[in-house]
Amino acid sequence: MNQIAGESMRVSVSSSVWTLLRLRWMIFMIGFRRASWVRKLIVIFIVIISIGGIGAIIYLSRYLLSFLKNPLLVEGVGNLEAVLNSVPNVLITGAFIGILVTSFGVLLQALYLAGDMDFLLCRPVPIRALFIAKMLQAVLPSFILICAIALPILFGLGLAQDYSLLFYPLVLLELVVLSLAAAGFSSLLVMAVVRVFPARRVAEIIGFTGATLSFICSQSGQLARWDNLSPGDLSQVLAVFQRFDSPLSPLYWAGQGLVSVGAGDWLKGVGLVLVTVLAAGGIFAVSMMTAEKLYYSGWASMQARVQKVKRPRREKIGISLPKIAVMERVISPAAWAVTVKDWKVLRRDIRNMSQLITPLIFGIIYAVMFLRGGGQVPAGRGEAPDWFMNLMGNFVVYSNIGLSLFVGWMLLGRLAGMAFSQEGKNYWLLKTSPIKPVELVTAKYLVSFLPVLALGWGFLVVIMLIQRASLGLLLYSMVVVAFSICGNAGINLAFGIAGARLDWEDPRQMQRGSMSCLSSLVSMTYLALSLLLFFALPFLAEILRAPEIIGQTIGLLLGGPFCLACAVIPLWLVRKRVGLLGESTG
Amino acid sequence: MKTNYPLIETEQLSKRYGAKPAVEAVSFQVQGGEIFGFLGPNGAGKTTTIKMIVGLLKPTTGAARVGGFDVQAQPIQAKSITGYVPDEPNLYAKLTGRELLRFVGNLYQMDRKQVDRRSDELLRLFDLQQAADDTIDSYSHGMQQKTSLAAALMHDPKVLVLDEPTVGLDPRSARLIKDILKQMAERGSAIFLSTHILEIAERMCDRIGIINQGRLIAAGSMDDLRRMSQGETSLEDIFLNLTGGAEYSEIAEVLA
Repeated sequence: MNQIAGESMRVSVSSSVWTLLRLRWMIFMIGFRRASWVRKLIVIFIVIISIGGIGAIIYLSRYLLSFLKNPLLVEGVGNLEAVLNSVPNVLITGAFIGILVTSFGVLLQALYLAGDMDFLLCRPVPIRALFIAKMLQAVLPSFILICAIALPILFGLGLAQDYSLLFYPLVLLELVVLSLAAAGFSSLLVMAVVRVFPARRVAEIIGFTGATLSFICSQSGQLARWDNLSPGDLSQVLAVFQRFDSPLSPLYWAGQGLVSVGAGDWLKGVGLVLVTVLAAGGIFAVSMMTAEKLYYSGWASMQARVQKVKRPRREKIGISLPKIAVMERVISPAAWAVTVKDWKVLRRDIRNMSQLITPLIFGIIYAVMFLRGGGQVPAGRGEAPDWFMNLMGNFVVYSNIGLSLFVGWMLLGRLAGMAFSQEGKNYWLLKTSPIKPVELVTAKYLVSFLPVLALGWGFLVVIMLIQRASLGLLLYSMVVVAFSICGNAGINLAFGIAGARLDWEDPRQMQRGSMSCLSSLVSMTYLALSLLLFFALPFLAEILRAPEIIGQTIGLLLGGPFCLACAVIPLWLVRKRVGLLGESTG
Repeated sequence: MKTNYPLIETEQLSKRYGAKPAVEAVSFQVQGGEIFGFLGPNGAGKTTTIKMIVGLLKPTTGAARVGGFDVQAQPIQAKSITGYVPDEPNLYAKLTGRELLRFVGNLYQMDRKQVDRRSDELLRLFDLQQAADDTIDSYSHGMQQKTSLAAALMHDPKVLVLDEPTVGLDPRSARLIKDILKQMAERGSAIFLSTHILEIAERMCDRIGIINQGRLIAAGSMDDLRRMSQGETSLEDIFLNLTGGAEYSEIAEVLA
């Protein structure tokens, strides 16, 4: 027994961390060495471009921040010296919050959902070493990203303000320690959350919320009225910088320390930087110590988590059966079963919801923009002839259809484009079932066509009701939307079949990038062409002062067959591929 | 209740991945009422052969027939009488067990009342009733394996193809599967199963096929295999004798 105890390994935390990190580096290097020459060149090109980009940010920051001291600008918006002194504080706060927020999801994945946890936890690796290695791996990409933005801006500030040389290494030191503190704090949050909620569910919700929020943020800028920006607004925006200057915040100490060191106020500057480093180190040390207790117990409890006893779902027999019976008369029950199954899976998997909700947000934002403009033709100086004003009026009305179709186009990219790919490793079940390829294609077509049609029509009806369009125009628009979506669904589905991937682990890898790009280009071209065919004749009728109904009828006669052909021909071209899908799954 | 016609038949079945042969000219027959065990070392070509039988892979040459239907030429007819249990139970994670069984029933064009009755029966049989309305992502591996088997049995197939069906199952569930397979064979179905557990193959299977490096090197009853293997009595010895590996016992002695 004593002999066994004597032979047992003594493993230090640092050597284990080093071993684990070296493993990652080795995996990266092996991947790089084995990559094709094209891929290697792309990586080298990206590195060179990034370094060039950092240089450009330093130069631009120096130029722009020097511009804030320009006497003409100062005359217009006041003295901006305080704003310049707040820049380090703002950037450091932004970097800290950025790492805190982004590392939550990454740490959750790395600490609890990584596939190598079983392998590592049964080895003689100290849990603290595992925690440190996982945390460093998780936080490194965010740190690099933040350094690529914050570091050059701060260096640009240093150059613009003629700060002392010590400013530059201290910037890097503060970014490193604050990133570690943010990651440590984030890991504590992760460990606390995982003790209450299932890690996988939390990851799904974070993915959904992150994608939705980032899309809302990126698009909400469209609602701003940039054309009305005044010098007063500009100084208000710049004043926001100073709101970060809270003397009680350690992040303020960090920023202020850098400014003081830069300006040569050594005692205050070095003191504040030291306090920052100690505070950040304290947070990191607490997270380390807590991790040892919380991490393993949290991970272990996750393995043994017992499902709550759920009450059996009540079947909605009375509602769903008649609908299904109607559909089963039109298509085969097997195809309808696949359609219904897909809708259920899409609805329940929150990772899909973030992709589906994006077009809705887009539609809502652009509809608000459109309606805020009144949806009316500007009167101008009132000199335009009546026919021109009518023409422009029609253009505004028909742009509703365009908007509705554009939202549908975005949604179809996901629903039809990934209809087959979303089966993933489950595809064996369909492939071994007695379902014909044509039934499968029909099912997948309906999965995308029906909801997009419902959404497009709903969107159209709401906008046209608000604009009080005539019933005839509404009906014509609905027919146009139906035809156009019909063709677009066929094109997207065909590209989805051609580029289907069934071996994905992450839903973002569902479709091959090249096929997805090509699909977007072709379907966008189709959309423009179909709109031209549907609308050119009504416009021409308006110019020639012929009844609009004649133009609309000819438009339908031209556009309808074109859309139907686009729905059928691409699918016919890829029909043989359907049978070959899933050759390697199962 | 054995039939005198084959329900599974492969004829010179071959599959190549580029220049590398995975399965080469494999021919065998499985009669109705027969349990056929398919053995072989790792990477011998068992799963590739199974995938060609169920229509997941297209053979490079040769043919697989199920119930007399060519799997490639008449896939719908062949698949409608086949049940398949893969080695990895990849099932729709966001469907409940009950929903999955109903979905499978609909794929096989079963009557709705029949689907409901059959899914209830199978959920009860595999002790999945409690979890029937939970989504499959909350199931353990064993529960998923049982759900996969229940899905394969939904349409009462004439041919059942199983790839390592007892992996990850507790002894009770493994026993249940063995009993089900025996009952199905008694009712005239053809059972084709691959396994690494030689004891299962020896005790359950009427005939055994051994595949090595893509070639079927032996097929027959235990007595036939004993004769082929110069009087070795246990299936383990026969298997090692035919596929190589008997020499490993000497290496093991050195390591001990």
